[in-house]
Amino acid sequence: MKAIKRRRLLLLAAVIGFAGSVAAKPLQGLTVLPAPRPVAPLAIADAQGRAAGLDTLAGKAVVLNLWASWCLPCLAELPALDRLAGGAAPDGVAVMAVSLDKGGAAAVDAAYGRLGIRHLPVRLDAKWEVAEALAAPTLPTTLLLDRRGREVARYVGAARWDGPEALVLLRALADGRALTPAMAPPPATLSGTPP
Amino acid sequence: MTGGRMVMAVFAAVLAGFGFTMAPRAGYGQDVAAPAALSGRFLLTDQDGRRVDQDSYRGKVRVMSFGYTYCPDVCPTTLATIAAAMDKLGADADQVVPIFVSVDPKRDSPSHLKEYLAAFDKRLVGLTGTDGEVAAAARNFHVRYTVNAPEGTADNYTVDHTAGVFIMDRDGRFLAKLGHLVTADDLAARILGYLK
Repeated sequence: MKAIKRRRLLLLAAVIGFAGSVAAKPLQGLTVLPAPRPVAPLAIADAQGRAAGLDTLAGKAVVLNLWASWCLPCLAELPALDRLAGGAAPDGVAVMAVSLDKGGAAAVDAAYGRLGIRHLPVRLDAKWEVAEALAAPTLPTTLLLDRRGREVARYVGAARWDGPEALVLLRALADGRALTPAMAPPPATLSGTPP
Repeated sequence: MTGGRMVMAVFAAVLAGFGFTMAPRAGYGQDVAAPAALSGRFLLTDQDGRRVDQDSYRGKVRVMSFGYTYCPDVCPTTLATIAAAMDKLGADADQVVPIFVSVDPKRDSPSHLKEYLAAFDKRLVGLTGTDGEVAAAARNFHVRYTVNAPEGTADNYTVDHTAGVFIMDRDGRFLAKLGHLVTADDLAARILGYLK
């Protein structure tokens, strides 16, 4: 009996140890905040190093995407974000994709060229401050900001940003209607989105 | 203890364990408990194909993280944080070597690591090896990793692994383990403290 208890205790200890030391999979998908959260001014720069923060999009709802050229799922969703920026987005919705690449504008140009990105302007987190300020430890992370510049939801992982589900979500964002987890767009996959 | 209670106890323990992992501040700049017995020994191959061990970086403080380069769903920004911390150290960074150890040696070849790490910082050293060498290195840092079953093709799999940033002294001995959500400022400050 004692031996059995001992074995159970060991099992328990092993379970606790494993759960405690292996980082849980990061949260993925759409998270709607309980209340809109103001976003502090962000040190976003354009290709020439000039300030090009969110104030340039005042009055619009914003899809604020954080990406890097070394992040494959980021590259998987950039074309859809580019189509949004090129006119597919509902009225009143702007798209900003901020690169966290240390290589700056050169790294962005290389990636944009490879992917055929035509509408997204070059936006850089030049000093590695934006990702930290927004507490985004994984990429891609996309914040949905209302017309007052407040974060109302964020999506972690790659999504089909120009699909019908995403357009419903973004229309609600532009209209100032409440977002719900059920409005989450489906994930984009590395091998391309299904037909 | 009855079987039913046992199941409940294990369930509660799992929840408690994940609660610890998922706590709002977990992973940020504070130290993560690491056993004093952590030896920090390794014998691996670097991004240029050289055989290296813990003595190869003698005289430099090491900032080490474990992971893998292929992230199909989401990618951690730990290496970018380490690169940013190196920048913040300025000239003092000459006394520091940032080291990334792959826990996915099957896909992370030395040449692949070289190309991947260049996107973060040219000073980053990338280490890989045989399955056995990587397993030994991970064990010596008390890092756990699990290669998950492939989905679709044989090369499409994820690897769960312990996250965190190790700081080792100029002789390769353990100094600190920081959470993987540490900020570049905090990491640079900690490293600087160990350079004095």
